[in-house]
Amino acid sequence: MILDRLDMTPDELERRTGWELKPEGLCKDDRCVPLPAGGAADGLVDVTVVAERLGMPLVHDERHDLWALGPEAGDRVLASAELPPIVLADVEGRPFDLSSLRGEKVLIAAWASW
Amino acid sequence: MALPVWQQLRTELHPQGLEIVTVALDLEVDAARSWIERSGADHPQLVDTAHRLDELLGIVNVPTALWVDENGMIVRPPHTAAVERYDFSKLKTPKGLPDDLDAHIRDMLEQVKRIPRFDADHYVEALRDWVEHGAASEYALTPEEVVQGSASRSPEVAEAAAEFELGQHLHHAGHVESARAHFRAAHRLQPENWTYKRNAWELVSPGIQGPSDFYDGDWLSDIKAAGPEHYYAPPDF
Repeated sequence: MILDRLDMTPDELERRTGWELKPEGLCKDDRCVPLPAGGAADGLVDVTVVAERLGMPLVHDERHDLWALGPEAGDRVLASAELPPIVLADVEGRPFDLSSLRGEKVLIAAWASW
Repeated sequence: MALPVWQQLRTELHPQGLEIVTVALDLEVDAARSWIERSGADHPQLVDTAHRLDELLGIVNVPTALWVDENGMIVRPPHTAAVERYDFSKLKTPKGLPDDLDAHIRDMLEQVKRIPRFDADHYVEALRDWVEHGAASEYALTPEEVVQGSASRSPEVAEAAAEFELGQHLHHAGHVESARAHFRAAHRLQPENWTYKRNAWELVSPGIQGPSDFYDGDWLSDIKAAGPEHYYAPPDF
């Protein structure tokens, strides 16, 4: 995800990464990762600390002062067989939520013009 | 281009409960637009300019498909989706090209001919079997098999996703030069990801994705280095 600063509120963190700030640390599903002192202060979490603790790459573009926080590195891309939330746009820019197809079998086919 | 084939399959199998969603892994919506508009498809046709599918699902080349059941559970992780019947044996270079370009394209076609082709009929049979029998189909995998069959996400692969995301963001903001540095980083970190490479090459060398001042690789050099036989992961059906 693209960031223009390296702190965010716990609400924003949860909305954008699925990780919730709790007294025991950062939690997602049944997993909690302790957050070291200084990882959260004054109502904001430090994205640098979060990235380090969760094994997420944080890359920077100095000239434009932007960062991208990547996915958690680990064993497999899919942590479970459940299709992750995916919303993509059509050519007119209208968003389409793949979860709206629950109840049907779905084949997702990636292609490219090149 | 497989879009008409997906539409045919959709027409056949939608009455039995299959929806098809095509996703163009194109940096520029306009590059995909005319293909999409001409396809006449009834199903959702989306464009993933940021390559979210690479990050979230481990896609590295096209055509790639995955199957999802009625409950939103993946039953076939991303796999090479062979639905087109190719005959590349008669491929020829267009007439009247300058000598150096002619030689380059000739060389590309030799590599294309050595890319393995997979059994489209068998793939479509497997798909029909799953649509009819669901979880009882031998082609539907268990959740554990799906997770194990998904791509690995090393620290380098995760970082490549972040670099590509930053690159495409800068590209779309008009910072084309800054974007290239991040595309280069993504290529270095995940050389097996052809979508990251081909999208970037296409911007600077449309059509042939040839050598440029901006990227270390190009289609011809990279496929020779990787070996055309490794261009697609063989589908395991």
